[in-house]
Amino acid sequence: MRKIISFILGSLLALNLSVSVANAAANEVRVAFFLEWATPNQEAKVKKTFDKALGVPVKWTNFATGGEMTEAMLSGDIDISYSQGLTPFVNAVNAKAPIKLVDIAVIYGMGGTTCVAASGIDKNNASSKLDGQKVAVPLGTMADYVFKETMRVVGADISKMKVVDMNPEDGSAAFVNGDVAMACLFGGKSIKAAKEKGASLLTVDEAKAEGIAGIDITSVTNKFLKENPGMVRTFVEVTHEANARHNAGKSDMNIIAKDAAMDLAGTKKQMSGFEFPDAATMKSKYMNKGGILMTYLEVMGGMFATSENPKLKDYSKVVDTSYLPM
Amino acid sequence: MITGIVTFLVIFAVIGSILYGQRLVKTEKSDAVFGNPERAKGGLHWVVVGSSFLLLSWLYYSWDIAKAFYPKSANELCQVAKVNESLLSLKYLFPIEERQHKSTALIKRENINIQKKIILIQNSPDLKDKDKKLFIDLLNKTKKTIPLLTDEKFLENKTKNKIGELTNRITWLTEDFQKINYPPIKSIEEENKRIEALKKQLGWGATGMEVPPLPESKKGLKFHAAAQELNEISDEFFSMRNHNVAYVTLIKEIRNEIKEYQNELNDDQELEMTLIKEIKKLGQRIEYESVFPPNALNEMEKSIREFDVAQKKEQGNLIYVDAFLFPAGTIVASGPTCAEDGPGRWLPKPSDTFRIFGDLLKPSVGFKMIPMIWYEMMGVNRIVGFILPDWIADIMPGKYPVHSSDGTVKPNFKSKVLDIVTGEFNAFKIPVPTGHIWDSFLRVFLGLVLGIIFGVPLGIFMGLNRFAKGFFDPLVELYRPVPPLAWAPLVITVFGIDNLGKVFLLFMVSFSIMIISARAGASGTQLSKIHAAHSLGASRWQILREVIFPNSLPEILTGVRVAVGMCWGTLVAAEFLAGTSGIGFVENVARKYMQYEVIWITIFVMGMLGLLFDVTIRKIIDKTIPWRGKG
Repeated sequence: MRKIISFILGSLLALNLSVSVANAAANEVRVAFFLEWATPNQEAKVKKTFDKALGVPVKWTNFATGGEMTEAMLSGDIDISYSQGLTPFVNAVNAKAPIKLVDIAVIYGMGGTTCVAASGIDKNNASSKLDGQKVAVPLGTMADYVFKETMRVVGADISKMKVVDMNPEDGSAAFVNGDVAMACLFGGKSIKAAKEKGASLLTVDEAKAEGIAGIDITSVTNKFLKENPGMVRTFVEVTHEANARHNAGKSDMNIIAKDAAMDLAGTKKQMSGFEFPDAATMKSKYMNKGGILMTYLEVMGGMFATSENPKLKDYSKVVDTSYLPM
Repeated sequence: MITGIVTFLVIFAVIGSILYGQRLVKTEKSDAVFGNPERAKGGLHWVVVGSSFLLLSWLYYSWDIAKAFYPKSANELCQVAKVNESLLSLKYLFPIEERQHKSTALIKRENINIQKKIILIQNSPDLKDKDKKLFIDLLNKTKKTIPLLTDEKFLENKTKNKIGELTNRITWLTEDFQKINYPPIKSIEEENKRIEALKKQLGWGATGMEVPPLPESKKGLKFHAAAQELNEISDEFFSMRNHNVAYVTLIKEIRNEIKEYQNELNDDQELEMTLIKEIKKLGQRIEYESVFPPNALNEMEKSIREFDVAQKKEQGNLIYVDAFLFPAGTIVASGPTCAEDGPGRWLPKPSDTFRIFGDLLKPSVGFKMIPMIWYEMMGVNRIVGFILPDWIADIMPGKYPVHSSDGTVKPNFKSKVLDIVTGEFNAFKIPVPTGHIWDSFLRVFLGLVLGIIFGVPLGIFMGLNRFAKGFFDPLVELYRPVPPLAWAPLVITVFGIDNLGKVFLLFMVSFSIMIISARAGASGTQLSKIHAAHSLGASRWQILREVIFPNSLPEILTGVRVAVGMCWGTLVAAEFLAGTSGIGFVENVARKYMQYEVIWITIFVMGMLGLLFDVTIRKIIDKTIPWRGKG
C-alpha cells in the first residue's frame, strides 16, 4: 500500500517536472511544407541553399494539412511552417496558439483550390440544384473558405446542403463516383481527376473578380522568432530570392517538380496559377493596414470562429512584417 | 465554486474509502489464502478511490483546481509571462538558461563553416585557379571581420555608452520594480481609461481558452509595466550593432569585391554565382547577429540576472501557485495576448468540458447543425417503405397505369401496391432517435448484429465440417489479419460515402471475430457430451442445438465482447474518412478547429458507450450461460 502510494506520488512529481525542453542553441531549423504544392524555394531546398545560408542544417517535414502543421508547432517539433493555408492559421490564432505570420508564401487563384460541381450544375442554377445535395468539403482548410465564398457568390444556402468532411483525395473519388454533387478540393491531382466528371463552379477570372483567392503564408513559433530572429530573416530572404529567380523565369522546374512529387507539366500548370509577390508589394498591398491579407484575416477570423475560440479583436498582432527583406 | 466543492468531496471520498479499507482488513475474518479468487471479491470502496483519483488528476492537470481556488492567478501569471517574453531575446544571448553565449556558439559555428567552405573550394575541380584564389581570399577576409567585432579595442565609445545606458535602465528598473508605488501613475485620465478597459475584460476561461491579458491586480500591473519597459530596452539593444569603423570598412570592401565579381559573371557560370552568393550570406550572417567583445556585455548580463532575481522575489507566493497548481506547463504570453501552454491547452477543464457538453446536448445547438442525440418524428410509411422491397409491386399482376387522354392518371391495384412498398402513403408518426451519438451507435450495432448473424453459423459449420473448413479457411485466414482500416480507401469507392460503407467495414471486423470464436467453441465441445447425446438417440439437429451450440456459447459471447471493442476502434476511423455525422466525425472536425473540449467530450462519450455495450453483454452472458466455467 505504502509502496503504491509512493510510486504514484513519484510519478506525479516526474510528470510535473517534465516541462517542455527548450530548443537550446538552434542547431537545426525544422520546417514544415506540403507535397504536390510546387514553390520556387523547393529548388533552394534541394540545392541546400537554406542550409548554407542559415549555417545550420534544415530539416524539412511534409504534412497533409495546415492544421497538422499547427499541431506540430505547438508540440515544439516544428519551428517554421512554410505555405500553411490562411484558414488553418486563423484557426490556430483564434485558439490563441503562440505563432506569428511573417511572410506570404503563395497567392493563388481558384486554379489551386476550387469547387467542382457535377455536370448540369452551373453558377446560375446552383442555388436551387444544390439544395438537399451532398457536397464534399475538407473542413477547416482553404477549400472550406472557398466553398463558403463560392456559395455566397452563387447564392446557395449552405444550411440546406449536406456537407461531408472529406480530404481532397477522397472527395474527388466520391465525386467521380457520383456520391456527392459537388466537391471542393485543393491539390493538382485531385482537381484534375474531379474535372473529368464536372467543371469548376466559378472560373478563375470569375473568382478573382469576386475577390476569392487563396493565400498561403509562412508562420513561425513565437519562441523561435524571439530566440533566432536572424534565422527567420535569412529564411524569408532565401525564399524571396528563389521567388525572384522564378519570377524571372530562371527556376529549374525539373528539380521543383521532383521535390513536389509531381510531373513536369503538372508542376508548370500549377505554378502558372501561383503568384509570388516581392517584399515591397507585400508591404504596400497585402500586409499593410487594410491590405488584402489583413482583410482576409478579418473575414476568415469571423467565418471560422467557434464559441470556444472566438474571433480576435485585432489580427495585426499576429502579423509581423519586420522579417521581410528590405 | 462547484469545482472547489467537488475537489473537497473527492478528497474526502478518497480519505474515507482508504480508512474504510484499512478498517475492513483489520475486522474482516477471512481464511482465504493467497491465490484464492475470494480475496479479490468486493471492494466497492476501491472503485470510489480509483474514480476519484481519475477525477482528481483531471481537475489537477487541467488546472481547474488553480482556476477554482486562485481565479486571479492566470491573470497575474500572464503578466509574469509578459516579462519573461520580453526578456527572452536578451536572456538568450547569455548563458542564463543556456550553456554558452549565443555569440560564442555562433562564432564557433561560423569559423567551422568558413573552414569547410575553404576546403570545399580548394578541392573543387570545376573552378578556375583565379576564382579559387579570389573566393578563399574573400573567405579569409570574412573570417577577419570576426575579431573586429570581438576585440575590445575596436568597440566604439558610442556603442559602449549605449550598452551602459541600457544596462543602467535595467538596473533602475530593478530598483523601481521592488518599490511599492511602482509603476507611478502617469495621469488620472490614463488611469481611468485603464480601469474602464478592465471592466470590459472577461474572466479566465469565460469564452473557453481566454486568459485575461490586462493586469487586474497591483502585482500584475507591476509586471505589466516592467514588461513594457523591458520590451523597449530589448528593441533598442537589438537595433544596435557593434559595427565599428574598421568592421564597416572591411565589410564594405568585401561587398564591393563580391559585387564587382558578380557583375563580371555570365549567366552560364552557375557554380561561381552560387558560391559567391553563399560567401556573401556567410558574411551577412555574422553582420546580422549581435556580436560583442567577450566582456563588453558583462555588466548587462549581471543586471539582467539581478532583475531576474528581483522579479522572482516579487512574484511571491505566485511562484508556488505556478509550480504546484499549474503542473507541467504555465501561462505563456505572445505579444499582448496570453494563453495556456502545456496540459492547460490540450486538457480542457472538467468544468468547461461539462458546460460545453451541456451546450452540445441541446438539440437546437448540436454540432454542425446536427444534435448529439435527440429524436425526430418519422412517419411509419417511411419505415414500411424501407423494409418492404420494391419488387413486390413488380410481381403483382397487371400493368402500371398509363396517363389518359384527358391528362389524368388513374391509380390501379399495382400502382397502389407500389405506393405502399415505397412508403408513399400517409401514416401516423412515431419518434425516432437521431443525432451523432445515435448514428454511431446504430452503425456499431448493425455491424455487430450482421457479423453475428453471418459469422456464428459459418463458424460452427467450419468447426464441424471438413468441406466448410477447407473451403472457407483460405478466405477467412487471408482477410482476417488485415487491419480493417486497410480496406477503408476501397470501401469509399465501392460502397460510397453513406452508412453502407461504414457498416460494411464494421461487419468485416465483427464477422472474422465471430467466425473464429464460434469455430473454436464448436470444435472445443467435449466429445463425451456429444457421445452421450448420440447414445441417447439425439438427431444431428438435436446434437447441434442442445449440445454443441450451448457449449460454444461462452466462446461466442466472449467473441462478441472483443468484437464490440474492435468495432468502436474502427468506427471512429471510418467516420474520419467520409464524415457526415457520428462521434468520429465530431472529433475530426473539432480537431481542425482546435476545440479540445469537444475532442475530450467525444472520447468520454465513446468510453461511456463502449462501457454500456460491455456491461449489457456481460449481463447477457450472466443470464444466458450460467454454466460458464462450470462445465
